[in-house]
Amino acid sequence: MRYNRQIILPEVGEKGQEKLSHAKVLIIGAGGLGAAILPYLAAAGIGEIGIIDDDSIEISNLQRQVIYKSDAIGKSKALEAKEMALSLNPSIQVNAITDTLNAKNAIPLFEYYDVMVDATDNLHTKYLINDACVVTNKPFVYGSIYKFQGQVSVFNYQNGPTYRCLFPDESSNSKNCVDSGVMGISVGIIGMFQANEVLKMVLEIGNVLSGELLIYNMLNNDQQKFDLVRTNAIALNRLDFEKKYNVVENTVLEITANEALEQMENPDVLFLDVRNEEELPKISLPNTIQIPLSELEENLDQLDSNKTILVYCQSGIRSKKAAEILKKHQFLKVQSIAGGALKLQGIIATNAVSVS
Amino acid sequence: MLKLKYFGAVAEKIKVQEENIPFSNSSLQELVDALEQKYDLSSLSYSIAVNQKIVQDTNNYMLISNDVVALLPPFAGG
Repeated sequence: MRYNRQIILPEVGEKGQEKLSHAKVLIIGAGGLGAAILPYLAAAGIGEIGIIDDDSIEISNLQRQVIYKSDAIGKSKALEAKEMALSLNPSIQVNAITDTLNAKNAIPLFEYYDVMVDATDNLHTKYLINDACVVTNKPFVYGSIYKFQGQVSVFNYQNGPTYRCLFPDESSNSKNCVDSGVMGISVGIIGMFQANEVLKMVLEIGNVLSGELLIYNMLNNDQQKFDLVRTNAIALNRLDFEKKYNVVENTVLEITANEALEQMENPDVLFLDVRNEEELPKISLPNTIQIPLSELEENLDQLDSNKTILVYCQSGIRSKKAAEILKKHQFLKVQSIAGGALKLQGIIATNAVSVS
Repeated sequence: MLKLKYFGAVAEKIKVQEENIPFSNSSLQELVDALEQKYDLSSLSYSIAVNQKIVQDTNNYMLISNDVVALLPPFAGG
């Protein structure tokens, strides 16, 4: 009886309901989009739903994350979301995962679930979802908001285009809701579009929004679709994935100037000065090479990736960027020297460290 | 004539969502470079569509009159 109104649709029927009950869907993020998507998938009878988020509920969430009650402030979003979904439909299974999605848990999770729904609020995680979906060959239901506009698409569906085919530039810094503001209704509308794509995929009805980007404008109801094609088919395998993410995420990027100077006689350590040539003070350490940050990417062949590379600039900001660039290019042992040349110079001067 | 459509942060920066400009015989990349300079868009990242199709190879795409060019930045909110 619970599903009668949808089962009487010929496009769904008993068979479709059976498909829904066997589907496993992972919702990544229990914020505004997640709060819109989850109740509808649960109510429709998706057999198993995972919801992953490590956040707890804050009062400023409640204007758009409408599944949470005021007395739940401070509690775990994933756990509260699970409780809400189960009280709505106790016949399904809901798995709450109180963690952030990261390179370590993404692959096993994505192998388990059939469809991944992006309900995140940052670009970094969207690329992670995309790449993990490519590795595990699973579809990625994308949804995102900028103020009164929303984007929706389904990536990596039956060999269709991926997020990287649409936005290859990973370095862009688009604002999230905290930075730019959002109405609850906007995330609700976009979340509904996403939930609808999930149901169409599971039921195998209609046309899935693959190879198309939908942009919806809440202020004038303008709705546009843009076609995209799969480009430079990013055949990412599991090893590439682990290299790309684990390295970047897990290693500490900084080392203190003192610790760095202790390494100065170590033949396996290379000091990299990313300042411009004219910058002072000059630090003369053995095993030093100078490549200005702006020229670093073109001159990577000058560096030995087997060595530990300790990067410094004037104060420790450019060197962090340099360390990130190096990590991206598979230099595994890279650290940025906190405080940079100014700090190094100070220690050398006061301790009279012998510089050969 | 060319019709230009802007979305998200790009529209916000340019302060309009649409505009028409006179057609000049240029590649898509030349148009984008000119817009980038005119509106100081270099800090923004976006994809480009012509007539509702995303174009990757903007250098080798020659525009024709009445093309509709859209600048589509990624959104991040949720």
